[in-house]
Amino acid sequence: MLTATVTAAWTDDNRTDAVPDEGEHALVRNAVRGDMAAFESLYRRHAGRVHGVIARLVGYHGARAEDLTQDAFVRAWQALPGYRFESAFSTWLHRLAVNTALMDLRARRSRPQADADEDALEHVGTQDSAGHATALSLDLERAVATLPPRARAVLVLYDVEGWKHEEIAESLGMAVGSSKAQLHRARHLLRARLGDTP
Amino acid sequence: MNEQATDERLRWALRGLRQNRQPEHDLWPGIAARIAAESTRPARGAHPRRHWAPLALAASLLLAVGVVWQTLPPPPATQADANPVRREAHAMTREYDAALREIQLSSPQPEAARMASLPELHELDRSAAQIRTALRRDPGARFLLDRLRHTYTLRLALTQRAVLG
Repeated sequence: MLTATVTAAWTDDNRTDAVPDEGEHALVRNAVRGDMAAFESLYRRHAGRVHGVIARLVGYHGARAEDLTQDAFVRAWQALPGYRFESAFSTWLHRLAVNTALMDLRARRSRPQADADEDALEHVGTQDSAGHATALSLDLERAVATLPPRARAVLVLYDVEGWKHEEIAESLGMAVGSSKAQLHRARHLLRARLGDTP
Repeated sequence: MNEQATDERLRWALRGLRQNRQPEHDLWPGIAARIAAESTRPARGAHPRRHWAPLALAASLLLAVGVVWQTLPPPPATQADANPVRREAHAMTREYDAALREIQLSSPQPEAARMASLPELHELDRSAAQIRTALRRDPGARFLLDRLRHTYTLRLALTQRAVLG
């Protein structure tokens, strides 16, 4: 019960964290009309947020996160003519960034599971937006990076990004029950990696 | 009960991971080049104002100049200008001039005259000239090179937009 309440509060808070301003509206309108300079300004404003969520989803693998961030912005440019101003631009872009990372995750599932998670550890703990990384967040980032990709995606989307299981299940093409099971598994693994399990 | 408390602690800690994280490299030149290249492909519901062939060429060239500069070994010291930043600036300016000429040649005469009078283009030309001057004074300032690339890309984009109306 407590868990459900906390989740709902986090989710709502999460969805309103980027209040659009008039300047942003003008930039988006111009970008929709094909103004590349306006789109560059939007890139400068949102690169940190987009790269942040992608980095979390791919286990802080630096080069892969940067490639996918670039992909996300190219896809955003292509999709902009269809943007209808029904949601905040930042929310629309965030969703697009997540989908870009998840598409990559699905594509990688068909390949050998070597994945780059081992390499990912080398990139964990680069400076955050405040210019520093605490020991706690560093440990946590390292632990998150070592999770199996799908379990990590569910954990990040649910516990960090504040998505609901229904949304996660739809985006990952799985049943709601599977999303819950993956979350349970991810938390269990995470606790074990952090040495928190009895 | 203990597990539930641990879970709550973990979740609070996980929320702390939700932070912006700037890419280590500026991804914009690559994004601009890819967008420009995309716009030259046969349309698949593409917007007609997004056919920027000269800009595609220019963006790719500006990007290529940067990449080539970073991967090539240093040239012999006998070369006229041995400073790598200045050399890159010269190469970039040559490519920019060529792309601009291409846009101007492909636009109708009245459009070309109208473009020549646009104050924002003059302003960008002035900025580019100031950056080049600053680069001559301080040839070690790589950030000026990025600024120059940005200004050229913007100038080409605005010129192209003016042509396409």
